[in-house]
Amino acid sequence: MSVTAAKSIGAKPVTAAATKQTPVAHIAATNVAVDFVVGGRRQRVLYDINVAVPKGSFVSLIGPSGCGKSTLLKVMAGLIEPSQGDIRVANVKPKEAAKLRLIGLVFQDATLLPWKNAVENAAFLLMTADETVKKSDAMDRAAEKLRLVGLAGAEKKMPSQLSGGMRQRVAIARALALDPEVLLMDEPFGALDAITREEMSECLLDIWERTGKTIVLVTHSIDEAVLLSREVHVMGTGPARIIETLPITVPHPRNEESYSDPAFTAAENRLRSLLIESHRRAR
Amino acid sequence: MSEIAAEAAAPKVSAGYRLWRGLKEVLPAIALSAVILIVWEMFIRIFNVVTFVLPAPSAIIVSLIKNRASLAVATQATAFEVLFGFVLAAIVGVVVALLIVRFERFGRALYPLIVLFQNVPKVALAPIFILWFGFELTPKILLIVVIAFFPVTIDMLAGLQSVEPSFVSLMRSVGASKNKIMLRVRIPHSLPHLMAGLKVAITFSVIGAIVGEFAGANRGLGYVIQFASTQLDTPLIFAALLVVSALGLAFYYVVEFAERLLVPWAPKYDPIQLTG
Repeated sequence: MSVTAAKSIGAKPVTAAATKQTPVAHIAATNVAVDFVVGGRRQRVLYDINVAVPKGSFVSLIGPSGCGKSTLLKVMAGLIEPSQGDIRVANVKPKEAAKLRLIGLVFQDATLLPWKNAVENAAFLLMTADETVKKSDAMDRAAEKLRLVGLAGAEKKMPSQLSGGMRQRVAIARALALDPEVLLMDEPFGALDAITREEMSECLLDIWERTGKTIVLVTHSIDEAVLLSREVHVMGTGPARIIETLPITVPHPRNEESYSDPAFTAAENRLRSLLIESHRRAR
Repeated sequence: MSEIAAEAAAPKVSAGYRLWRGLKEVLPAIALSAVILIVWEMFIRIFNVVTFVLPAPSAIIVSLIKNRASLAVATQATAFEVLFGFVLAAIVGVVVALLIVRFERFGRALYPLIVLFQNVPKVALAPIFILWFGFELTPKILLIVVIAFFPVTIDMLAGLQSVEPSFVSLMRSVGASKNKIMLRVRIPHSLPHLMAGLKVAITFSVIGAIVGEFAGANRGLGYVIQFASTQLDTPLIFAALLVVSALGLAFYYVVEFAERLLVPWAPKYDPIQLTG
């Protein structure tokens, strides 16, 4: 993939930033701002964002509703163009990166096609993205990813026969089937019950440890953010921006015992007070 | 994973048991019909109601048998109109919906006109169509199309919009074009809605055919009804009505059968039991 990425920036002279050695940011946002036009009036929904996500890292965006965390994720996915600043994924524009299948997306709703079974759903995006891929190859890869997310044996199930958690697993497998370098997840477990959420968190940790993907997670849950992330960006409203970046030092491998780790509790408390503060200021 | 195992162990249902279950479901409807018919028959006999005012069910059956040959010919003519008109209405309805969403500016112009046109009483158009196209097939087909395309278009539009926006984002993120999203996601998603529209359209088509025949025809069940009324042959009117209803019902179930075949994932509703 790095070859293709290099090709598309080949036209420009190699900048100092690109040649800088120490950890190259896999996702880099520089002074990113986003304006929406609401009712004919320009409104700034994201204000001066600077984020660098190292390759293979797990980063969470957390904050109150309306803080622009989903918007930032959509900017990273290339679904929203920033009004100002620059955003790069694997050194290219997000739209390019998405076309190169470097980005996998997971949303709150699994949005599976009801007329296709689990493995067909998991293969669907890959087959849409790449017309040349053989159906049997796509299906094989999708089945492999279903096994990775713990759905071995459910390949032939229709979405209506799957529970909410299982449907979301299929959605993750669908994203992974693209073999992306980056996984962008917008409150992927937001619609699930507490126990299923924890199960899914562990499933995601497992996937991250096994595949080494760079993952950005938008979440409302402090627990989820601390358990999963290496780094948490806390976002605030008015104007919507990052108010603090908190490194999470809970040792790896993490599991349910991590919840009682002192570093976990410390990070949790810090995040909680930051969020309470930003909520208060939002009002 | 325990959920999968539990579902696989669901008991197999025998064909005989399913038939009995189906029969049990329609039994109340049959019983109610029988009661109504018996009361009707008794009412006519006890009060000696004149046949040309209201015939007894038995008189209607007698008329049905006596006129079976001419009714069969008329049914054929009407069924052909309904089928032809319905298929055309379905095509027009789908094409209009696709045009509206594909060419947004054109859609914004066309959509209000279609809604406006829907409020024109279509029955009143029948004489105009007869005037323009004569007594043959064309005016009937045209009438069916203008009556029946509307629910198809409206439901198809709702169906095309029924895709979750996040799924469209997902498609866009991998570089899928508008046309590809339309073809692979929006149109398949619209099928359950389209089938609902077609079910309404098929019943409208039968109405359209009968109205078209009323306005001017020399064959068909509508023509039989009108002819019989000039002869004060009320039992024949009712017999023809019975046949029209049976025809409509048969067409409706053909569409419903097609729905089950084409969109098995469509949500099934029990129209009577309120859920939640």
